Amino acid sequence: MDNELRVDVRKRHAGGPEIAAALRLPLGTHSVTVLFGPSGAGKTTVLRLIAGLDTPDSGSIRCGDEVWYDGARRKHVPPQSRRVGYLSQDYAIFPHLTVRGNVAYGAHGWDVRGLLARFDLSDLADRHPRQLSGGQLQRVALARALAAHPRLLLLDEPLSALDAPTRLRLRADLRQLLSGVQMPAIVVTHDRTEALALGDSIAIMIDGKLRQAGAVGSVFDCPADADVAAAVGVETICPAHVISRSAGLVTVEIADARLVAVDIGDPSPEVFACIRAESVTIERNSSGNPSSARNHLPARIVSVIPEGPLARVALDCGFRLTAIVTRQSEEEMQLREGDQVTAVVKATSIRIVPRG
Amino acid sequence: MEWQALYLSLRLSFWTTLILLAAGLPAAHWLTFSPRRWKFLVEAIVALPLVLPPTVLGFYILLAIGPHSPAGRLYAALTGGMLPFSFQGLLVASVLYSLPFAVQPFASGFAAVDRKLIEASWCLGVSRAATFFRVIVPLAVPSIVTGMILSFAHTLGEFGVVLMVGGNLAGITRTVSISIYDDVQALDYRAAMHTSLLLLGISFLVLAATYGLRRRVWAVWPPYGQ
Repeated sequence: MDNELRVDVRKRHAGGPEIAAALRLPLGTHSVTVLFGPSGAGKTTVLRLIAGLDTPDSGSIRCGDEVWYDGARRKHVPPQSRRVGYLSQDYAIFPHLTVRGNVAYGAHGWDVRGLLARFDLSDLADRHPRQLSGGQLQRVALARALAAHPRLLLLDEPLSALDAPTRLRLRADLRQLLSGVQMPAIVVTHDRTEALALGDSIAIMIDGKLRQAGAVGSVFDCPADADVAAAVGVETICPAHVISRSAGLVTVEIADARLVAVDIGDPSPEVFACIRAESVTIERNSSGNPSSARNHLPARIVSVIPEGPLARVALDCGFRLTAIVTRQSEEEMQLREGDQVTAVVKATSIRIVPRG
Repeated sequence: MEWQALYLSLRLSFWTTLILLAAGLPAAHWLTFSPRRWKFLVEAIVALPLVLPPTVLGFYILLAIGPHSPAGRLYAALTGGMLPFSFQGLLVASVLYSLPFAVQPFASGFAAVDRKLIEASWCLGVSRAATFFRVIVPLAVPSIVTGMILSFAHTLGEFGVVLMVGGNLAGITRTVSISIYDDVQALDYRAAMHTSLLLLGISFLVLAATYGLRRRVWAVWPPYGQ
């Protein structure tokens, strides 16, 4: 008995990339899967295909033992029969109904009053949607979706309709609500912090293709290729040439600099070296003290850009390397443009991915 | 003063509006949401009465409902009566003549309903038909009211088609506009003035009430000016 959602579809939109998505989502667990990628990657389309609002060109969509779409047999189950809770970007709350009317809209014998109470909406039950804030509208949308007994929730950019301070506050609320509803969910977002905050697992979508899927931490730390690395926000992605491999380590050359990294076992000589800014340490002068870090690179500071409590430091080590340090260290070390420093990177912090 | 003609006109307008409401809502729904490529042809046919001279329209309707036409024969077989020069025949003509005045506002109202609301309703398990009555119609009420008022007022004022299809039979097909024409032909300017003034007053009241009502409807939702 495979209790999972299996999507394997193709869809071409006029003017967009061809969407080709293969996705498996267990339905037994209550995990949140983030569908992550840059704008225009086709994330919303995948969500709409699962909801039944759009029809794929070919492929199949199965939910448990039900077939929702089968291109070969020309079978398409309408959204009404799929029991999927779909929340569009702006929540699509019915403007002519009260909060209670909205929540009760698709309810089948479910306790509407209980749902209102659970989502902290009891006091707002007789209000009209235009009197509600963005966060309240989101709760109405969730309560309304749950009232119709879905077996799966689909949320399209659930926080994008909100202003920045509200978005920060609601990110935590939404995580709590999602884990409270005990239902598998797919959340579409292009925001890295949202993906990290909301997701248990993640699927990266670029140019219409699903490129990598897995636990959020592992995908963010170990991107499978340079595009995924860029999508998950790895700051430094440099083409590199493999010089030697030994004892599980690989030595690569970027411009004139040599770096030691952990070997992932891919035999190709041409690779990308991916380095997150937060794993780059800056030292004033090589003190000569022994260090466990394998890579010490002489570097010149190109720019120092403050980012809140942190500062982003661009370094030139023969190739461009980005580091992130706290403002405090930046001030203590008096990092200035043009200064000569040493960039320190551990071998385990360099992710080597195949090129081409 | 032709109270009989006025009563007949109001009766005709009332039934025309009612039939157009019943037939226009599904027609407008189809025109708005159908994916058919050839629906522009239907749109053009619905809009024909806007540009055709009433005499042309009236002539074709007369032929179509005449005793030798299939429609006329069917009607005769069902009721034993004849459509031309009867109130029922007038009603058929009025409905066709005012069709665009109902269908076009309905359709533009439906088209203005946010597609996301309709899809939200589908995803909540509500059928297309129920979504139409629970989401689309309530949100298009201002446009539906506009379409009904336009149909009513347009029927009240029609002249050419009535003359072609209904003739001028007192109490059966003599509408208020025809009675005014008759009065003027008979040089009874006093009666014509009274009836005209009454028709002017009624038309103004209906339209004023509509716009006043519509403003209230719009002020509740959506935001005024949209």
